[in-house]
Amino acid sequence: MSGRVGIIGVGQSAFRSRRDDASYPDLVREAVSLALNDAGLGLEDIEAVVYSLSPDAMVGIGNAERLGVDAVGARNKRFLRINTGGATGISSVAAAYYHIAAGACDVVLTAGADKVGECGDSQTVLNKIWDPTYERALPLGTINMLAMSAVRYMHKYGMTEQDMARVVVKNRWHASLNPNAHLRALATEEDVLASRMISWPVKLFDCCPQSSGGGAMVLASERYIKNRKLDAAWITGVGHCSETYYLGDRMGNGYAADHADAYALRNAFQRAYRMAGITDPRKQVHVAELYAPFSNTEFHAIEAAGLADLGQSPAMLREGAFRIGGPTPVSPSGGTLCTNAIAVTAMVRVIEVAQQVRGRAGAHQVTGARVGIANGNGGDHQFFGAMVVEA
Amino acid sequence: MELLKRQETWNITYTHALGETASWFYVQLRDHAKLYGRRDAKSGRVLVPPRAFSDQTLQPTTDWVEVGPGGRIEAFTIVYDAFQGLPPPPYAFGYVMLDGADTGLGGYFRGVDLADARAAAAKLKIGTRVITRFAEKRVGDVLDFWFEPAPA
Amino acid sequence: MAYLTKAGVIGVAIAPCVTDQRRSLEELLYDMGHAALRDAGLTIEDIDGIVVASNDQYDGRAISVMAASGSVGGVDRDILSTPSAGEHALVMGALRVLSGQYRTQLVLAWSPTEASPLPEAQRLAADPYFHRRLPLDEPAADALQASALLAADPGLAEAAREIAARNRRNGTTAYPDLASAARPWSGARWPLEPGMVAAPVTGAVALVLASDAYVAERGIRDPAWIAGMGWATEPSFLGDRDLSDAPALRAAAEQAFGEAGGKTADLAEVADATPYQQLLASRVLGLGANLPVNLSGGAQSFNPVYCTGLIRIAEAANQVRGRAGRHQRAGTRTALAHAASGFAMQYQTVIMLRGEAA
Repeated sequence: MSGRVGIIGVGQSAFRSRRDDASYPDLVREAVSLALNDAGLGLEDIEAVVYSLSPDAMVGIGNAERLGVDAVGARNKRFLRINTGGATGISSVAAAYYHIAAGACDVVLTAGADKVGECGDSQTVLNKIWDPTYERALPLGTINMLAMSAVRYMHKYGMTEQDMARVVVKNRWHASLNPNAHLRALATEEDVLASRMISWPVKLFDCCPQSSGGGAMVLASERYIKNRKLDAAWITGVGHCSETYYLGDRMGNGYAADHADAYALRNAFQRAYRMAGITDPRKQVHVAELYAPFSNTEFHAIEAAGLADLGQSPAMLREGAFRIGGPTPVSPSGGTLCTNAIAVTAMVRVIEVAQQVRGRAGAHQVTGARVGIANGNGGDHQFFGAMVVEA
Repeated sequence: MELLKRQETWNITYTHALGETASWFYVQLRDHAKLYGRRDAKSGRVLVPPRAFSDQTLQPTTDWVEVGPGGRIEAFTIVYDAFQGLPPPPYAFGYVMLDGADTGLGGYFRGVDLADARAAAAKLKIGTRVITRFAEKRVGDVLDFWFEPAPA
Repeated sequence: MAYLTKAGVIGVAIAPCVTDQRRSLEELLYDMGHAALRDAGLTIEDIDGIVVASNDQYDGRAISVMAASGSVGGVDRDILSTPSAGEHALVMGALRVLSGQYRTQLVLAWSPTEASPLPEAQRLAADPYFHRRLPLDEPAADALQASALLAADPGLAEAAREIAARNRRNGTTAYPDLASAARPWSGARWPLEPGMVAAPVTGAVALVLASDAYVAERGIRDPAWIAGMGWATEPSFLGDRDLSDAPALRAAAEQAFGEAGGKTADLAEVADATPYQQLLASRVLGLGANLPVNLSGGAQSFNPVYCTGLIRIAEAANQVRGRAGRHQRAGTRTALAHAASGFAMQYQTVIMLRGEAA
């Protein structure tokens, strides 16, 4: 690759449960306008669009990206859609990155939106991601699937419900500083422990909300950025990796990946780190936006990112290692736990990190952040994308 | 201003070919109340539920291995919330590594009092021995069996 | 375009009409991935990344890449999914190779027929705001486009019949064993006549892409180089378009021809879900009257709905590689592949392929 790929504009909605004032394409357009304004560009400057959309069933429209074509101004332009489940947002940024790294385009827009609150019950849709051959008849959903991860993590490393509650307390505090976050009310450990049990050991407050809103980013080539003297955050590392689809294969005897951990995420980060020249994440990474829709999942994400040894992150969290003001803030935006518009959640992770390293994160800014990491998880904890973004 | 809404439902039926491997598994389950796994020769792992190939080694699996009925719990959860289209709570389910298998097979757990989450979780903790129970009338799907704590 | 490297097709597997009921979808994909790798002379260990494409509603899986991933080598590997179109998987795979960060890519698309009724699955693509209450499935959209073309030129109906017949004859030559499995479609959508649409069948296609450095290093023979690649989309609503024209195809062709330095091709594989698609595409692409088109038989012969686009590209690549079998046109050095997906060819993709000696 002859030059770097930079992020020159970002936009995200203020996420809510419902957006009755806007259709699905309206939400996409909203985020696109914000990103273009941020970049100081118009739709006419965009050469290609990567559309971020996970299950069609969530928005209730088959191939809903076709409807989004107008919202992203893609008439007669290069356009394709990415879907890697919950990782879709970051996979879309990666796909946009490859357009530029290949030399096909200089300016690429990636955008999407979700209306998770509108589909009735996201778990009903998400039950359909399991294959009809063996597991569709089981009441699998993403909440109980990751509750089982919590059960294994507890067994393996001694994590407690209190450890999980501490993640919620930290992220809700972060979210209270972020005007775009969905759940912004502070929570105490007692609030979390007293909240309704959903799927042992995951309680209501341990869960992400069903959010509606859009996200968009404008990426450009180094040449374009330098010619126009634009402000950019640079994508210096990208990596994807995936695990077996079978939950039952991530346990038992002779498994490569344990369902307690995030094995393929570790691989994805290692690929991204290798590209970015990061050899010691604990020292070199200043801020992390890690995809963690349930409190317990933040632990294995932190460990997969190399910010803690396996099983050690609960203790480090207790010591304040991952809050704003601590050594390596994790989810300073409040994270996926406080905002989850599935089609763009993983893109928002990259958006937030870009804001952090450009010094534009406002009240939830991590002082002096210049190197940030983001990731997305998709499928049944199966697809993982990781990225390094630097000032 | 008046904001309108539109209700839509998806009505599609799917007839999925299960293939020879899964079909054989289900016929044994339906007709004989027996469970089987397939061995991945390269790694030696007996995969349950069985597949024609291992996604880890990308090699075809080689032979059938009868597994269970005893096993140990590898993962579980207990659901207390109602979700549209899913069973009324509370219910417990998870994954069991049956004797002779190397991976976990998904299924419901029954015979445990689920009223108190923490007490129930202690009864279902990882490593707990279970026994597979089979329905009287079986149709050839994963609801033909479930797991109960093994008699002491 | 400032490409730093080249991307070429080095392996192909095409299953335009699968009738074997003994395999599950995942098993079919396993076989297809292996077949393409075998054709390339590689194993999965040689693959740096995978891009797949499928339709969740056809597959009956809310995130269809999940169950498929393991079948095609996704475990411990980098896999992306472009559900917008099968041909977009090829575009994404090519971009990854062209970035210089991947030496190889495995690309797959598939189209099962397990959903019933298939038109219902297709109708879900109509937006619920204005169009869902209309009987708008893909043949209906194609019929609307055909009617727009006929309104501009009523004589086209005869040309359409000829194309349908010719493509079907080609299909019988190309795949004689499969010809009996292909059935004409029974649904009527004026002005599409019986015999202008083939009934949907199950199908799948897989390709292996590699960089020029990799091809040189491994001594791979007869790659089909991607000399030009263009893709574009029409707007969302049919009512916003002039269905008798294809501006997005013009834009995609301009990209592809520009990169390739021209549009010369020894033959073409062109979208033909209906013969009107082929007529419109041929006109907009400026294909010569004597250019061999759809020697594979096209979708007129075998219609695995979702992946017919990627199959066009695969067939064209095989012609350039000299691997097209019964329907090989001798001396083919350059080929034009056109793929279209979505209602009335909303997505348009043009790939110019060139052999080593060309």
